[in-house]
Amino acid sequence: MKNVPDSNILLFRSCLVSVEYPGVESSTKFVFDKLGVDYEISEKQTCCTGLGHYSDVFTQIDTSAIGARNFKIAKNLNRPNLVMMCATCYAINKKSVKLLNKNDDLRNEINGLFEDNGLKHLTYEKNDLLPTENIFHVVDILYGKKDEIEKNIKYDLSEYKIATHHGCHYCKVHYEDTIAGFRDPNILDELVEACGCKTIGWYDHKRATCGTGFRQRYSNPDLSFTATADKMNALDEEDVEILIHLCPNCHIQFDRYQHLISKRENKNYKAIHLNIAQFIAIVMGGDFNKVIGVKSHTVPIDSIIKELKEVK
Amino acid sequence: MRDDLKVGVFLCECGGNISDVIDLDRVREELDVEFVGQFENLCSLNGRKIIRDAIFDHDLDRVVVAACSPISHEKTFQDYVKPLNPYLMDMANIREQCSWVHDDSKKATNKAITLINASIEKVKQSDAVDPIYCQTPDEVAIIGGGIAGMNAALSLARQGTKVTIIEQSPSIGGHMAKIGKVFSPVKIAEECGMCLLNPILNELVWNNNIEVLTNAKVIEAERRAGTYNLIVEQSPRYVDIEKCIACGKCAQVCEVEVPDDWNDGLSTRKAIYRPFGQSYPESYVIDMENCTKCGECFRECNMKAIKLRGKNERIPLQVGSIIVATGHKLFDMNKRPEYGYTRYDDVITQSELGRITGVNGPTKGKLLKSNGEVPKRVVMIQCVGSRDEKPDGHKYCSKICCTVALKNANIIKHKNPDTDVVVCYTDVRTPGMFEKYYKHTQENEVRFIRGRPGEVVKKGDSFIVRTEDTLKGEFIEIEADMVVLSTAMEPSDGTIEIAEILNIGTTEDGFIKESHPKIKPVTTDVQGVFVCGTAQDPKDITESIMQATASASKVSEYNYGGVEIEPFIAEIDKEKCNLCGDCIQRCKYKAMSIQNDEIYIDPMACTGCGKCLIGCAHKAITVNGNIDEKITATIKGVLSKKQPDERTILVFLDNIGYTAADNIGVNRLSYPESIHIIKVISVNRVRPKHIKYALENGADGVFIGEFPGDLMYDEVERKVQRVKKTLEELNEDPERIAFSKVYIPYFTGLARKLIDFDKQIQELNEAES
Repeated sequence: MKNVPDSNILLFRSCLVSVEYPGVESSTKFVFDKLGVDYEISEKQTCCTGLGHYSDVFTQIDTSAIGARNFKIAKNLNRPNLVMMCATCYAINKKSVKLLNKNDDLRNEINGLFEDNGLKHLTYEKNDLLPTENIFHVVDILYGKKDEIEKNIKYDLSEYKIATHHGCHYCKVHYEDTIAGFRDPNILDELVEACGCKTIGWYDHKRATCGTGFRQRYSNPDLSFTATADKMNALDEEDVEILIHLCPNCHIQFDRYQHLISKRENKNYKAIHLNIAQFIAIVMGGDFNKVIGVKSHTVPIDSIIKELKEVK
Repeated sequence: MRDDLKVGVFLCECGGNISDVIDLDRVREELDVEFVGQFENLCSLNGRKIIRDAIFDHDLDRVVVAACSPISHEKTFQDYVKPLNPYLMDMANIREQCSWVHDDSKKATNKAITLINASIEKVKQSDAVDPIYCQTPDEVAIIGGGIAGMNAALSLARQGTKVTIIEQSPSIGGHMAKIGKVFSPVKIAEECGMCLLNPILNELVWNNNIEVLTNAKVIEAERRAGTYNLIVEQSPRYVDIEKCIACGKCAQVCEVEVPDDWNDGLSTRKAIYRPFGQSYPESYVIDMENCTKCGECFRECNMKAIKLRGKNERIPLQVGSIIVATGHKLFDMNKRPEYGYTRYDDVITQSELGRITGVNGPTKGKLLKSNGEVPKRVVMIQCVGSRDEKPDGHKYCSKICCTVALKNANIIKHKNPDTDVVVCYTDVRTPGMFEKYYKHTQENEVRFIRGRPGEVVKKGDSFIVRTEDTLKGEFIEIEADMVVLSTAMEPSDGTIEIAEILNIGTTEDGFIKESHPKIKPVTTDVQGVFVCGTAQDPKDITESIMQATASASKVSEYNYGGVEIEPFIAEIDKEKCNLCGDCIQRCKYKAMSIQNDEIYIDPMACTGCGKCLIGCAHKAITVNGNIDEKITATIKGVLSKKQPDERTILVFLDNIGYTAADNIGVNRLSYPESIHIIKVISVNRVRPKHIKYALENGADGVFIGEFPGDLMYDEVERKVQRVKKTLEELNEDPERIAFSKVYIPYFTGLARKLIDFDKQIQELNEAES
């Protein structure tokens, strides 16, 4: 496994997390604090452009220029390890670092744009950051602290039927850096296991997309929701109660649209949707309102988790 | 004193090829040597007498033959200078690199004189050295007793060579023994694999030149002057093969049942077992990992063949050559969870299907699912792990899976015509005669869908195979009750281990690398080690046998011909050497090792590149033949009579580059007269001091060419960069040095580079004047 840091971390904020599920960020901080992870958040950091980039609003130059700016912020804080809560930010930033290091023309062009606009201080030097050594997802950091998680368990969620949904942009874009399998993704399963619970493991469509496809959700809703429905049906067949996510985009697709797809498919899906950080935060005793942020969820968390049982 | 040596120069007219362009009369006048002779065709048999007489009459110490390229006739003239030592003769190439590349007679004549003078200076530095003859021991070790290893062994044994087969498992036979049926492209029919294998096995067993060691592995290997000292570790069989009559009573009383790996785990066997009906040695074996040591078999055996105690035995083996035939293994299906192999019993591999349809298999040849029913539809998935760009897949095509699928599909159709067979393929690769078999399969109503399935899922009692039909552009779900995966072939663990033990190169995919995949098949980058079968790359039985016989033939070349080696190799002064091992690390040709507390240099592997010299703190290494001095002398010779207005560029090339340069002449292209090509044994032997000496003594430029396939290429490139940097620091223009790739066939490119470099040097000269 690659080296995973636990210090000098810039926790990279995600638009979707902030707007849709702020509990993911507060849970991440809660868990990081418990695990002794050294991190900081910067108010100067901007959006990765992901949604806009994949909807053809931002070109690669825009995206990598914004990336370069964010990377400079991280460097200036002496926190060169960027840790993302969102799979989109993760893949976008990793790609930008790769491009900025390898593609001299692109780097020169972006540095030229900085200079022309009085932003010379943002200049990106080749290998300022390295894709494998500096760009991480929260799950990577949690994985590196698996043993610590086990020591902090307060509540027992092992009675629930749990499945995992691994975001495509964590597993399928930068294979070389994906921990615990990309064909057979298991990082979330292993993290759930670290919490003293078992997942159902492999299920039909486990590796499939959530269906969001960025703009596909809006421009091609039939296609988009068919993919989601395939997965929801498979989870329903397995009687899954909690689906664990690592990407707010997937989280939205399932949580916000579950009732609509239920209607469409004439089913009554019951699974609740939790980010892995939220799940671990619950296990560690995080407050449902202040930490987990349950009120922002469409499928009510208490429809499944009605009371908590302390571990013996 | 070397300057006092008497040198004779023999000029060859080459039937006008040389004398039409070069004014040999003037050449004769200009040369200051003991003897100069001129002849029409020096390479003819008359030449021998002419040269020999002159050597006697003039008491010559050294000879320069100014004629064609040494590539053409060096061996001839080395022979003609007897009684002189062959290495006291040097050739000045005034044909391919002078008369054939220059039109201007005056300039060509000047250059010929320069080239001959360079040869004179060089040959004065030559010492008598003897070529090294290596004779390797005749005995051969063949590692791996599958179809390739067995055929290599038989071929050698039939030629009278003693062979030892070292097989890791309890029986020889390899994958072919369990394959069930085979087919040949010429016959549109499948036939019994074991029936073809058995005669080979029998002949091998009866051949007195072959010894078979089963349960055995090579654990150590050491090479010395073409002799390999191997240590083979043989684990005990716990059954005496001399006493065992394979009656099988022991197995009947054994109560342990474990999955039978010969049947790919589809059936069980006992802890005491015979691997398969025709296995050799014809004896039972105990699987100690699973044996409970209850002693039942021991009590049952009338032959007293069972010995429940035993320990590993180390067997030393001394051989001259080794054939690696360690084979392949199949792709690990844990890496493709989407196909459900580990979750569902009726998702199987082609190998398992081969066992199921084999009459000696778990179902006695009946196509049955795990529940005992005949499948209604079998879907085969091709390219599982092959042609796969993802990091845990193999980018290569495993080559045999298309035809294996066709074969098994036909076998299913013969046995169960009502079973529907669908093959999901990427491309069907059936070159040559195999195409006829493909057509035959289609006529048998086997269906083909172009697409690589994404998933196999179980819905109720049957499977759903999800795929895209890429010809129709449609996503489809195929219902099936048996799924067969055509798994990739990958190097076996034994192949990977033996590569490490013998220090032989492997490809990026882990197969044994041939020293040149195009023109040096079956040889590896280690002298005396050959490869055949699927240890080298995925291939079928026929190709494995062809390669096996080729490797046997290569071994025979070794055994009968011996090996003559140019003597310009490294030598160790044992007094100075402190065994630091630096040279072993440096040597890219793996020629050095420590043996009996001394550095041993394998003459068959050393190229005389001189890399070891640089790191030797105690200056304990020399390379025979005064290479350094000869290079300096050649440079001196080229530059000694340089005119002030003349431009001289020195070009250093090894055998490959020199051949490319000759090709420029052979094809009558041209380059400027300023270009003077100096042949060196290894480009690495051109040291920074040579380059500096050349530039300080009048050379206008230095061009170094190296074949990128040479192991020293990177090294030489870095060295040239360093020299350029040093020059810059000394306020010299680094542009006066060029480094370039050279390839034999790309002689036009070399000619162009030489022309360009001359132009560049001319501009530099003009700018400086």
